[in-house]
Amino acid sequence: MNLGIFTAILLFCIFSYFFGQTTAKKLVTNQNLKLKTLPTYYGYFVALWCGIPSLILFAVWSLFEPTIIKTIVVGKVLSASQIEAGLTTNLIYQKILSYSAGNFTGDLTDTIKIGALAYAKITSLAYKAKLASILSLASIGFIYAFNKVSKNNNARNDVENILKWLLFSSSVIAILTTLGIIFSLLFESIKFFSSINIFDFLFGTNWSPQKAFVRDASAITAEEYLEIKDAFGSVPLFAGTAFIALIAMCVAVPIGLFSGIYLAEYASYKSRRTIKPIIEILAGIPTVVYGFFAALTVGPFFREFGESLGLNVSSESALAAGLVMGIMIIPYVSSLSDDVINAVPQSLREGSYAVGATKSETIKKVVFPAALPGIIGSILLAVSRAIGETMIVVMAAGLAANLTINPLESTTTVTTQIVMLLVGDQEFDSPKTQSAFALGLTLFLVTLVLNYIALRVVKKYREKYD
Amino acid sequence: MKERKIKIKTENLEVYYGEKQALFDVNLEIHEKEVTALIGPSGCGKSTFIRCINRMNDVIDICKIKGSIEIDGKNINHKSIDVVRLREKVGMVFQKPNPFPKSIYDNIAYGPKIHGITKNKGELDNLIENSLRKAALWNEVKDRLHEPGTSLSGGQQQRLCIARAISVNPEIILMDEPCSALDPIATAKIEELIDELRETYTIIIVTHSMAQAVRVSQKTGFFHLGKLIEFGTTEKMFKNPSNNMTQDYITGRFG
Repeated sequence: MNLGIFTAILLFCIFSYFFGQTTAKKLVTNQNLKLKTLPTYYGYFVALWCGIPSLILFAVWSLFEPTIIKTIVVGKVLSASQIEAGLTTNLIYQKILSYSAGNFTGDLTDTIKIGALAYAKITSLAYKAKLASILSLASIGFIYAFNKVSKNNNARNDVENILKWLLFSSSVIAILTTLGIIFSLLFESIKFFSSINIFDFLFGTNWSPQKAFVRDASAITAEEYLEIKDAFGSVPLFAGTAFIALIAMCVAVPIGLFSGIYLAEYASYKSRRTIKPIIEILAGIPTVVYGFFAALTVGPFFREFGESLGLNVSSESALAAGLVMGIMIIPYVSSLSDDVINAVPQSLREGSYAVGATKSETIKKVVFPAALPGIIGSILLAVSRAIGETMIVVMAAGLAANLTINPLESTTTVTTQIVMLLVGDQEFDSPKTQSAFALGLTLFLVTLVLNYIALRVVKKYREKYD
Repeated sequence: MKERKIKIKTENLEVYYGEKQALFDVNLEIHEKEVTALIGPSGCGKSTFIRCINRMNDVIDICKIKGSIEIDGKNINHKSIDVVRLREKVGMVFQKPNPFPKSIYDNIAYGPKIHGITKNKGELDNLIENSLRKAALWNEVKDRLHEPGTSLSGGQQQRLCIARAISVNPEIILMDEPCSALDPIATAKIEELIDELRETYTIIIVTHSMAQAVRVSQKTGFFHLGKLIEFGTTEKMFKNPSNNMTQDYITGRFG
């Protein structure tokens, strides 16, 4: 139904574009009128006036329609019969909906039948009203804009303005979405922190949220609270995240940076053109595939290798996960540092060669320091990628929240735990699931602060030498 | 004026960038402790020529060199020549001042540190002071040696680059349009400086300004379309050129 209306609006727009355009052309040829702009702009102008108001009405209407219909139907049902014992209005309405859709199973009551009748009537009425009002709005826009065509107004500037607002509203949508995400995190976290002390969460060293499985947060008794109070210490998770990210950076920074330097300074144009895309393929491999690789190849390899040395290596280890994550991140570091090093002016290199420096001396003492802000930037980007990575850790590092600095033991990260907390059927009012939001919020804040500090450092360094 | 010793000698020098030939059969003798100016219209091969003398063209993959360039009688393109030693001996100053993004002090300390010229901090400090004095920059920067080199004005930056070039005790200094990015006052200072440096170094300067060539040089070479058209004393070149093309160029009829 909605698709039909949408198509109608689009067709109307296309029609009005051509109508506006041809009318403007006719004005030029028949009456020898000199228009201020090209006929195409009149076409756009009419089409935009026809389409935008009706699309806005369409969106707003579709947003509020279900709520309004529900209110009316429930009102009808309530006036027609009594509320059945134990059933809330929401449930009744759900039953009415599924009866109307024809997939109702269970006891059929009069209430539902009456409701379904009313629902069908109101829905068809609403559809007609919607179609009529949208089409009339489109027509009004069309007529308004069409009248302006003959009055020789400056359609080009008007189109320009409309486009400006369209672009502006797109960016507003992006910002609003970000805000929405932050607030949804924030509200759920506040709920969590109303049952669990924030300091217990931030500084506790024991993470075992399954203790609090499916328990209504609002009705926790004092004894129960004592029991679950210690279950939400996030320190092991953040320590695990930092630890695995550190291992990953130990792999990615040297290899990525050195291959970036090779690409920028030593590789010939031809080999650079071949090697760079090949390294970048690494970035295109789905993380789940890296996960297989870590869990099925690297992990067992470390275990067997460790056993041959007489070490006790768990088959899910921080080392395996960090190593594979590091490999995944190599292209971020290498590609970006290659770009940054290439951006260092050739004149600096020549100045260095001219006093008799070799290539590696030049790179070490002139090119690298000049490129450092950008290189730091690329490394930080890689760090945030490492912190946010989930799949490899789920598959290769395990789920046990051990507070350990032994890379051969299994450990876990914040993102992995969020996944574990929210997978499957969950009650969203238990502290267990709410803690996922608190973790998400904390992780978000940590990355935000990291990024901010990084930007400041880079900026300060730049000011010094530019 | 007595003839000085020949410092640089090229024979049948030809340079190719890929398919394109940039220099044709250049034969030239440059004498010790003189300033030689190279003039000619843009793209005529002057810069290519001086970049051959410290093998700066090695950086460019597609560049090929034929013929010979000798410094003190040794072919610099021979296998036994260490390009790093060569560049230590043949310094270069570029068209655009290119100080490193380091302090003034570190800019000059860079070369000596790489080559281990000084034994301790005291010697290094002396060397830096001397280099800056020779480049006529010491008085202007002595109180702010640890500020970034890029904070200086354009003319000061160029003198810093000259100081950097002489910090490794070269014998030859190549200058590729060193004043083209500078204002007249800074240019006058550099020209004065070049005149003083002549006593110690052999200098080759590429310039677009005929007046500058007259002011600073003893010998002048005129290049056109990759060929050395005329070479001789600056005095004769500008008063009584033997080639018509030179005559046309220096009187501004083409180029």
